Amino acid sequence: MWAGGRSPFNVSYGKLMMWLFLLSDAFTFSSLLVQYGAQRFSNVQSPIVTNWPDPASIFNHFPFMHGLHLPLLFVSVMTFILIMSSVTMVLAVEAGHRKSKKEVVRYMIYTIIGGAMFLGCQAWEWTVFIGEGATLYGNQFGITEAGQKVFGALGFGDHFEWQPEYRTAGPVPFAALFFIVTGFHGFHVFSGVVINVVVTIMAARGVFDRRGHYEMIEKAGLYWHFVDLVWVFVFTFFYLI
Amino acid sequence: MEFYTKPGEYDAINYIPPAESHGTKELWRTFWILLGITVLDFIIYFVMPHTGFRNFIFIFFGIVKAYYIVGAFMHMKYEKINLALVILVPTIFIIGLVMGLLYEGNALTYAK
Repeated sequence: MWAGGRSPFNVSYGKLMMWLFLLSDAFTFSSLLVQYGAQRFSNVQSPIVTNWPDPASIFNHFPFMHGLHLPLLFVSVMTFILIMSSVTMVLAVEAGHRKSKKEVVRYMIYTIIGGAMFLGCQAWEWTVFIGEGATLYGNQFGITEAGQKVFGALGFGDHFEWQPEYRTAGPVPFAALFFIVTGFHGFHVFSGVVINVVVTIMAARGVFDRRGHYEMIEKAGLYWHFVDLVWVFVFTFFYLI
Repeated sequence: MEFYTKPGEYDAINYIPPAESHGTKELWRTFWILLGITVLDFIIYFVMPHTGFRNFIFIFFGIVKAYYIVGAFMHMKYEKINLALVILVPTIFIIGLVMGLLYEGNALTYAK
């Protein structure tokens, strides 16, 4: 039992526990991403020639821009939304240090709106992906030679239409891994939004003023930034590489 | 347990360190860095051909973004070094796991 008379890490008990939870959650996400990496590397002929579906050929839609080839654009908008909501979260934490209740509530509401927007984007992306035939048990997103020819000539913003002869069966776990990893991340975003709503209501009702500190906003903030951190790697490994 | 729960003495469960604001300047700077790297990601994706070097750049940028999120947003730069090591050192094992399983995955290509 520690009896040194001072906090060894100079953090509160709750914040230390949040950090340790986030470490364990980092391992959870790592196990999912490592599984994805191993599956992907088991479909590689040399480091680059691969029959793994090219994300640019699948996630190339943008709302209200039907039939245009716009890879990476929508997911970049999602990334921007999440970074922005991270900033408003950290501004809420900073306002909490100054015990400014009004600012905390305002920035927390911005953060919640950002989280809800991100979830909406993800729902749209899943809807399009499932609409194109993605299932947990198979993968029709392999590209045939004819598809590769057409697809390779496409520029950013060009009009394009998938024909059945462009696609073939690809590595089975592709869509399943996409659903599991982005779904698990989306569930984290969802629970983060719920936590943020709860602490915002507590802040608005003056609970933290009576308590004398806004430590709870910091703990919710740690969780929210962790969700952003995970997205950085999901973005890198699922969309960029 | 009575040795640290006496009134006025250190209380491990209810201890809250005094909060201090570092201002918003660094936070906004971090935001612009993160946004800039994301825009760079976007540009490199279309400008460079798909090579192992491009993948390396993307992973490197991901680690840089992670550094800024954990350091500035999660306030790790201002925590005691003890806490930072307790949280960051175990993540080294993740790198080992990634290396090992990518190698094993690659070997599966020829086993299938």
